[in-house]
Amino acid sequence: MASSRSISTATKAKFRVDLAIAARLALVVLVLTLTSLGARAAGGALSQLDQQCLACHSAKGLEMKLANGDQLPLQVDGAAFGKSVHNKLGCAVCHANTSFENHPPVKTKIAGSREYSLAMNKICESCHAPVFKQYEGSIHATLFRDGNSYAPVCTDCHSPHAVMAKATYDATSGAPCSKCHGSIFEAYAGSVHGKATLACSNCHGAHDVSAATKEGQLKNACLGCHQDAQASHQKWLPNAKQHFDSVSCPACHSPTAKRKVNLRLYDNVAQQAVAEKAGVPQFESRARSADAKGAGLDAMALHSLLREFNREGIDNKTTLRGRLEVSDGVDAHKLTPSAQAIRDCAKCHQQGADPFQSVTVSIVGPDGRPVRYGAKPEVLNSIISVDSLSGFYAIGGTRIKLLDWLLALAVLGGIGAPLGHMTVRWLFKRYAKKISGQEDS
Amino acid sequence: MARIYVHPLPVRIWHWINAFGFVAMIVTGFQIRYIGLIDLMSFRTAVVVHEWIGFVLIANFFIWLIFYLFTDKIRVYHPELNPMKHFRASFRQAMFYGYGIFKGDPNPHHVSVYEKFNSMQSMSYQVIMLLLVPLQFWTGVLLWDVKRFSGMIDVLGGVRVVDTAHVLIFIFFSGFIFMHIYLATLGHTRMAHIKSMITGYEEVEDTHGDGK
Repeated sequence: MASSRSISTATKAKFRVDLAIAARLALVVLVLTLTSLGARAAGGALSQLDQQCLACHSAKGLEMKLANGDQLPLQVDGAAFGKSVHNKLGCAVCHANTSFENHPPVKTKIAGSREYSLAMNKICESCHAPVFKQYEGSIHATLFRDGNSYAPVCTDCHSPHAVMAKATYDATSGAPCSKCHGSIFEAYAGSVHGKATLACSNCHGAHDVSAATKEGQLKNACLGCHQDAQASHQKWLPNAKQHFDSVSCPACHSPTAKRKVNLRLYDNVAQQAVAEKAGVPQFESRARSADAKGAGLDAMALHSLLREFNREGIDNKTTLRGRLEVSDGVDAHKLTPSAQAIRDCAKCHQQGADPFQSVTVSIVGPDGRPVRYGAKPEVLNSIISVDSLSGFYAIGGTRIKLLDWLLALAVLGGIGAPLGHMTVRWLFKRYAKKISGQEDS
Repeated sequence: MARIYVHPLPVRIWHWINAFGFVAMIVTGFQIRYIGLIDLMSFRTAVVVHEWIGFVLIANFFIWLIFYLFTDKIRVYHPELNPMKHFRASFRQAMFYGYGIFKGDPNPHHVSVYEKFNSMQSMSYQVIMLLLVPLQFWTGVLLWDVKRFSGMIDVLGGVRVVDTAHVLIFIFFSGFIFMHIYLATLGHTRMAHIKSMITGYEEVEDTHGDGK
């Protein structure tokens, strides 16, 4: 009985202590929050609480070793944070799990810096839900889900302690895209768009960035601003609409770019590019088995690859649609003023033209980016390709060689037959004269 | 020498527009297909000229079609329905061009108002005018605006199929035009048939004539 009474007394005492701690903590948080809001309201400076945090976290080189050995930098530039839009929130809103009790968070071990960034992503989502949803549909998020350790999460693009208002963004900096896409940004900075200080997001979107090679994606971005482009091209370019379908904008507007032909698998019934089935990729294995020598698909191999895709179901459901593209992203960004764009049809419409020397066959990969397989340039000029490349033909450039021989034969025959006939007539006439001359004599 | 009126004015107008038009189509066709090898004009000029003349030729085709459909002159195209008779006449004509002409034999075909073509001409002109020329116009129009006619092009098997058909007929005409000009010189004088296509009158000697 005595024992139970003493336990009860101890429990009550502990409860009183806990209550007192909780009340003090609540009071501290309340006071600091109120004072920080008051301080911010006064002039945008750091709140007292934030200043308290920064008392330690502004220390140069402050970092923490994580479970996997990563070093998590803990230093925060107070001046930058003071100017950032997150200053209004203060440290405690994002770092709510860091309390007086567990700070430094010794109870929950952080596995690694990547894991930490991911955990912090959830914090971003709690305020920026619509933007986060856009991000989740982006190529960046897809790459991340596929295990790409370089795929960016929120904090890779937005330095959380220095995130600035949109209005202050300097497009010429290329940040944050240039951090990963440096060579592309370099090319872009010298382009007509770069000089006009357009931001990457003007064409690619920001959080909803999709694979640049996604069908129609960038062309629509171009036409979004250049709304009269179709009409102005129609004034001088024969079959302008077809060119818009079969030629990417940079193929002409990035005149120094190396060009190539991309033969895309196309579903005629669904009227869209064929996409690789998630989890059961078939394209590469089928292409490899069609290309026994591994030297690139030739016309016969291309034909058998298509047959594989049409083995089940409707005949000719899957076809190939060709498109002239630039070889890489760097070239795609070297856009020039329209006066310098390629207007000389002969650049493409002649045998041996540069764009037809490099050919790939592609399918839309699970992440939206094309999966490519090389083909021999001869596929474009083979009579066998009349069937397999029925949807792609560039006059002159991809002409069928067999027809050239037939034409030569027809012209030679057309000229040779009358000449031969005339010669025989002349010989007969001469012979007849000789005979009659002999008879006369 | 008798003169018979075998080429009425609409036919002569159609013929000469067609003749010069086809030459221009072949020349521009060569330029379009073989830019880099031939440099008569720019690719774009060749395409634009090819398109315009193409439409002129289509309109011109209807002069020919309407004239023959609405006059009794259509009889010049009446086919010989008896295959044996047609074969014999064609063989006789082929023998003349292949052998008899060298010896100075008379042309087995006698030109008249309703029989201005020999059996070989009658057959080949029907194939040309009712099959090859319309097919060439049709494929040409489809290639003129690939996007506008994409549905029809897809039904036919794709732009490469349509283009191959267009080029095959182009190849035929590129060879045929030399033969046609040569055969036109095989009248009783070298210029006889050509003059008749200008005046409309064919000169016929002793009821024997020579078709081109």
